[in-house]
Formats: sequence, C-alpha cells, structure tokens
Amino acid sequence: MSSDILVQYLVSGLMLAMIYALVAVGFTLFFGVLDIIHFAHGDVFMVGAFVALASFLSLSAAGVSVPVVQLLLMTVASIAALALLGILTARYLVLPMKGAPALNVLLMTMMLGTILRESVRLFYPEGANPKAFPSLLPTNSIEIGEISLRVDNIIMLGFGAATIICVSLLINRTRLGLAIRAVAQDEETAKTMGINYTLVVMLTFAVGSGLAAIAGLISGLYYNEINFSMGLLLGVIGFSAAITGGLGNIYGAILGGILFAGLQTIGAVALPFGSAYKDVFAFAVVIIIMTWRPTGLISTLSSERV
Amino acid sequence: MTSTAQVLLSCRQVSKRFGGVVALDHLDLEIGRREFFGMIGPNGSGKTTFFNTLTGIFPLTSGSFIYDNQDLTNASPQQVCRAGISRTFQRSRVCLGLSIFDNLMIGNHISLDRGIWSNLINRSALYHQIDEMAERARLLLKTFDPKLAGRMYELVSNQPMIDRRRIEICRALISGPRLLLLDEPSAGMTDREMRELMNNLLEVKARIGDLTIILIEHEMKIIERVTDRCAVLNFGRKICEGTYSSVVENSDVQEAYLGSKNARRR
Amino acid sequence: MSRFFHRKLSVLPSIIALVVAMAYLALILHVETQSMIIALLTGGAISFFLASRFDLVSMVRQSYSAHERVMDILTALAVVAVSAVYHENSFVLFMMATVLVYVIACLGLNLQFGYAGMLNFAGAAMLGVGGYTAALLGNGQIQTIFLLPLGGLAATIIGSILLPPMLRTHGHYSAVITIAFNLLFTTFLEVYSGFGGTQGLPVVSMSLFNFNFNEDWQLGSFQIAFYANYFLLGFVLTIIVMTVVRRIERSWIGLSFDAVRLDEISSPCFGVDIALWKAIAFMSGNFIIGLAGAFYALMLGYIAPTNFSFSDSLILVTIIILGGLGSIWGIVLTAAIVIILPEKLQAIQEYRFLLYAVVVTLVLLFRPGGLLPRVPRIYLPGWRP
Repeated sequence: MSSDILVQYLVSGLMLAMIYALVAVGFTLFFGVLDIIHFAHGDVFMVGAFVALASFLSLSAAGVSVPVVQLLLMTVASIAALALLGILTARYLVLPMKGAPALNVLLMTMMLGTILRESVRLFYPEGANPKAFPSLLPTNSIEIGEISLRVDNIIMLGFGAATIICVSLLINRTRLGLAIRAVAQDEETAKTMGINYTLVVMLTFAVGSGLAAIAGLISGLYYNEINFSMGLLLGVIGFSAAITGGLGNIYGAILGGILFAGLQTIGAVALPFGSAYKDVFAFAVVIIIMTWRPTGLISTLSSERV
Repeated sequence: MTSTAQVLLSCRQVSKRFGGVVALDHLDLEIGRREFFGMIGPNGSGKTTFFNTLTGIFPLTSGSFIYDNQDLTNASPQQVCRAGISRTFQRSRVCLGLSIFDNLMIGNHISLDRGIWSNLINRSALYHQIDEMAERARLLLKTFDPKLAGRMYELVSNQPMIDRRRIEICRALISGPRLLLLDEPSAGMTDREMRELMNNLLEVKARIGDLTIILIEHEMKIIERVTDRCAVLNFGRKICEGTYSSVVENSDVQEAYLGSKNARRR
Repeated sequence: MSRFFHRKLSVLPSIIALVVAMAYLALILHVETQSMIIALLTGGAISFFLASRFDLVSMVRQSYSAHERVMDILTALAVVAVSAVYHENSFVLFMMATVLVYVIACLGLNLQFGYAGMLNFAGAAMLGVGGYTAALLGNGQIQTIFLLPLGGLAATIIGSILLPPMLRTHGHYSAVITIAFNLLFTTFLEVYSGFGGTQGLPVVSMSLFNFNFNEDWQLGSFQIAFYANYFLLGFVLTIIVMTVVRRIERSWIGLSFDAVRLDEISSPCFGVDIALWKAIAFMSGNFIIGLAGAFYALMLGYIAPTNFSFSDSLILVTIIILGGLGSIWGIVLTAAIVIILPEKLQAIQEYRFLLYAVVVTLVLLFRPGGLLPRVPRIYLPGWRP
C-alpha cells in the first residue's frame, strides 16, 4: 500500500478517534458524577453541529464573511448553546430523578435523545435531509517529505487534541476538576465538605456538552455534511468507547475512542469487502473485550461494601 | 481448649490482603462443635472479612479453612452453603420488594424442588412443598416473634428494622445449617430488643441441638451473656482467645480498645 | 397499602373493568375522526389516572386475582369477541395481531429483564433471528407451524453467543454488549447479500393441514379477512406463553430469578447458582422472542432488516419498564398502547416519535412504578395455607 493511502487512512482514523474520544469523555464525566449513562449525548453532539450550521447561515446572511470570524462565532455559539442545554438537562431532568432506579434514568435519557432528534427533523428547515456543512479552513496541502497533508485536517486534529488536553488539565489541575472528582468518588463526603453538589453536576454537564459541541463542529468541517440521525450511532459508539475503556476514567474514555476508531479503520482496510463490515467487526471486538475484561480496560476501583 | 474430635471449624494461618491493606493476618482459630463463639475487636479488625472469606465471597490470599474434615478453602459460596454454613450480613441484605415468606424461601434454596415438571406442568407437588415450607417458616418465625409469623406474606419493606434483622436470621436458619455466622445482628436495637433476640437465639440453639454459632458483636454485654468462648481481633490478627472474663482482663485487649495510656489497671 | 388476599372479594369490580376495557378498545379501534380519537385518549388517560388515585385499579386487580380462572376465560372470550366485531377489517386485525407479537416478545424479554434483571437491548435482533429463520427454512418442505419453534431455537442458539459476556458483566456493561450485538446484527443483514440485504427476503405463507392462512374465508354468512387467522393463532400462542411465564413467576423458579435480580452477592450464600439462573432466563427468554419473530415474519409475508433495529429494541424495553417491571398485564396494556396509538393518530404521524418520547418522559417522572406495577408473589391466587 502506498504511503499516501496509508497516510489518508491514518488521518481519517485519527479524526474519528478524536471525535469519539471527545464524546466518550463526556459520557465518562456524566457517569462519574451521577452514575448515569446519558444516552442523549450523541444527539446533543448532533444538535451542536446544527447550531454551528445555523450560526454560519445567519452570519453569512448578516454579511459576516471572513472565515476565521465565522468559525470563531460558530464555535462560541454551539458551545454556549450546548452548555446551556446540558445545564437545563441536569437541573430539570436528571437531578430530579436522582432516587429513581438507574434503568428509569437511562430510559429517560434515551427519550431525551429521541426528542432532540425528532425536534431537529421536524422543526429545522428541511431537517429530514442531510445538510451541507461549509468547509471554512484552508484546504491546501503541505508537503512533508513524500507525504502530503491537508492543512485543515492538521488544524482540526491539533484543535481536538488541544481540547482533550485542556479537559484533562481541567479535571486534574483545577479546583472545579477537584470538585468533580470528589463528587464522582464520594458524593456524601463531598457535600459534607461544602461542595455545592448541584452546581458541580450542572457544570459537569456544561463541560461534557461543550466537548460534544467541539466534536460536532469538527465532524461537520471534516465530512462537510450533517444529518439529524448522525447522533444515534455516534452516541452508541461513544458509549461503547467509554465503557470499553473503563467507565469513570477519562484516560479510559480516550483510549476507548482511539480503540474503536482503530478497529473501524483496520476493519475497513483489512477485511475483504472491507468498509461495509467495519462496524460489524468493531462491535464484535467490543463484545470480546467485555468478555475478557468485564469492567473495561482501565478498571476503576469501586467495590460494594459487603 | 476443645479436643480435635470436637473441632468443627479449623482456620489455619488465614490471611487476606486487599491491595496494600492487610485485612486478615495469619489468623489461627478453632471453633468447637455446638459452641457459641464470639468475635470481637475494633472497627476494621477483620471480623467481617473473616466471614466473607469463609463463605467464599472473597478468596483467601493464603491459609486454609477446614470445616468438618472438609477443605473449604476458596470454595464457592454455593459450596459453602451446601456444606451447612449459613450467615447474615453486617449491612442488612434482605430483599425489600419480596414478602417475608419469599425471603425465607431464598434462604431455603437448596431444599426447594426447582425442576420444570413440578414447577410448570404438574404443580400439585409444588403446592405441597409450599404448604410444607410455609409451616416450617411459620414455626421458625414464631420462635422470634409470633406476630411476625402472622405477617408472613407482607412485604419486608413494611417491616421495622428489628424485624428485618429477625427475618434475616430466620432466612439463615431455615435451611437447617450446622454453622451459623451472625454479623452484628443487634446493630440499631434497644437493650431490651437485644436481650430478646439473644434469648430467641439461645432457644433456637437449644432446640436444634447440633448448631454452632459464631457471633460478631460490639455489645460486650451480649458476648458476656451468651458466648462460651470468644476471640479478639485487631488489625487482622488474633490477639486473645478464651472466655469473655479472661479476655477482658487481657492488657493487649484493653490496649486495642482503649489505647495504651488509658489501659485499665487493676 | 391495600391488603391482598381477600378471599371473599367480589368478582364484580373485575367484570365491570373488563366490560369497560373491551368497550373502550372496540370504540377506539372503530373511531376514525382525529378529534374523537384525541378526546377518547385524553378521557381514557384521565380516567385511568383518577382510578389509580382512588385505589380502584388495585381493587380491580385483587378482584381479578381472587377469581382468576373465571376472569381469565372471560377476558379471553372478550378479546376474541372484539376481534369478531372486526372480522372483515384487515387493518384492525393486523394491528391486533401485531400487538400480540409484541406481547409475546416482551414476555420473553420480561423473563430476562423483569425477573432475572438482565438488561437486554438486543430483543429486536432476536426477533429478527426468528424471522429470518422462518424466511430461510420455509421452503415448502417443512410444515410451516414448525417454523415457529425453529425460530425460537435459532434465537436461543445465536443468543447463547452473548452468554459469556452477559454472565460476566452487570448493569451498564451488559447493556453495551447487547446494544453492540443489535447494531452488529442489523449492519450485517444490510450488507450481506445472501440474506437479501436491505431488501430482505420473502417468507412462505403459513398453512396448517391444507388450510391456507393467507386466504379470506367464510363462516356462514360472515366474511373473515385472512388476518383473522393470524390473529387467532397469535392469540393461542399468547395464551400459552402467558401461562408459562405466569407459572414461572409463581414458582421456585421465579423466586430464584428474583434472588438473582435483587442481590447477586448474598444469594450465592444460600446456594443460588447465579450463572445457571441467568443462563436459563436468557436462553428461555430468547426462545420466546425468536418464536414471536418467526410468527411475525410468517404473518408479514416478508422480512427486512429495518424492523429489527436498535430503536425497536428500545421500544421493547420501554414497554417493559412503562408497564411495570415484571408485570405481565402491564406488558399487555402498554404493548396495546404503543402499537395502537400511533396507528390511530394518523394526523400526527409525523410527530409520533416525538410525542411518544415526551409521554414516556412524563410517565418516568411522575409514575415511575409503571402503569400496572408488579404485585407481590402469590403462588396460587386465593391461596392461604
């Protein structure tokens, strides 16, 4: 296989890995603080992409045409919108269901996902059809030795990686991150120590949803197309990635995202009739991994007192 | 000490580590048949871990359990149950959504006929067994509280805490075990309730005959009143063994509970 | 809380409830105008809400339980009577038969999930396995009635692939495995041309002793649409499965499942073999689901991957939770609502998923126990030794 094609696969694999990782980290954060699987997270990602598109169209109509400015404003708009959505979800849907059986909460987040999906399909103009997403980054290539890389891909990969690093720093080096980790480990004690539980949960949802916004933006820019149902499969993949990596652990989520993207890419490359079966292959491997390591690759130490 | 013919449970050099934490440290213990044996010690001294490793919930790091000449080291919980060992839990673990009768029947699992024929097709044998078991359950519950027996088909979630403890003990007793492990059964009870519970236990033990009981307790009054012998644990190690009165005089024991500066001097 | 075991409880409340329910069902199936339907639905919801507020629902359930044999027969006759009213209406009969498919499938899922606590998001995949088995093996050589248990068997065998991971994982982790499997299943079917790809496969029409299920027939002066055949067969299957599942619940087997679901740590200490009971629940549940899938395929006359997606598995799980975890009648009621409602509200067809999600959310927030929560176990109705 020529190095060119290899590089193509590598770049697309990395892009996928990053999108998955960003979504998976959100899943794992929500699970950490509230012990819930926020099934609507994938659809939140989709909403972020649509908000970005809507902002772009409004900005263009308003006469703003400089790509950098457009991009900046789109990013701000989608992060803000999703963060708000996250806070509202936490405050009015998830927190009130705190005492309920975990299944009910899971089901409710699935319903929320359906509501988001259907709302976009029904109420966004021509929502049922795929929508073109502008490419706002420079599309020229640069040559490094024999390999040619597109500038926009490099920028997106860099931006995504930077985001992940920032989140990791946020969780591990800031007071908010400390509060989040405290609540994740022991809610009662954290509350006793004066941590505002409700606030921490809302902020966690804001951060997780913000990550989804960035993932949605990158996805739109890379594939140049978004549609209302793209969140469902992505949500399941993000969820699988978070679990395979080990729930509650950020590095596990990142690892899971890379792993899943890697499996899909390998499947596309290595299997005969390749890309059609790549999802089958990836999901089969996930099942095998879960058989081998029932609590994920990086298991979090939590045991029930007997 | 008890003669070897009379030893029911022999624990040799039993050790358990959880990562860096040593929960049990080369524990040597012998429990005699029909003894009422107490286990005391400060919080975290390994008493519940002892039960958990004996009943197969956690594997031992090293050491062995010999029960009635059978090697039960690292046996599964099911195997331990079939050997005739039953237990209660420190944190009350009854099924709140089920009736008292159902809870007891879970405890009776090994005696129940779970075949497809009698359960699904020709159910007369099932009804017969239900009647039989209902009678057995009622008798057992009556020993602890006649009123409880009358409420046998009510949900456990509607019962007060003390009754839930009684139910849990009955669940452990219904299968007719020969070794009963009780983990702080009196937690949350008043003095009078505790005394009542212990009277009931002694009554049951007298009635069944071949029943050995190991009791983990914090209430010294109980240990003093009902146990034949007891062992004191600290940091997973046995620091003393003997009758309650001899154990309570031991300076190591006093130090463990009260700290060296405050050790009582006679 | 109302006491149960009223031996002398009158049969009247449950008979009245049965008559009201059947009249309501017949009416709702009949009415066409959207405003009438919405009025009926709102009225029904409010009545149910009020009835449960004033403990009428539990009174009806106790009354039914005290006279279960009689009430079972009456209910069965009543349902057949309602279907007889629509003997010419293919659309209604098909809809009612579809409700039965979902009831049977959810009863299987109930064994796994409602009783043994095994979260399973691959129910639709198992339906699909049963359906595709019927499609592939139904070549005119085998009596079509045998395709039903064969579909169930296929689902059991293929489902057992998931046993090793299912037995080793709990809760959310089990969920991923079944979700992954369902996605894997539908993707595979869409891509693999040998099973028809996205177009699917035709299914042989059902016949029993020279009676062709796909033909309309006449009874005296009455024209009977052919979907009535499927409805009646489905009805017989439903009764059989309901009886089996109900007996399972009312036995030491059901108690063992409960022990597994409620406490996996203490139950082994009483001799309960967790892995064994989970395997039994999972495999027998899959058999029932596969059976329903084979029946569904025979009725539809074709089969395609679109019917067996993850969203459909989600609907199955929702029916079980909304009906009341572990509640058989809850499943029947909720399945009927989930299937009939969207079909009747044609005007809002576009919005039906949205409305469905909103309604489910409301129920979860305000009536989390489900519509007809499971009652404490009674081994034999009216029994007291």
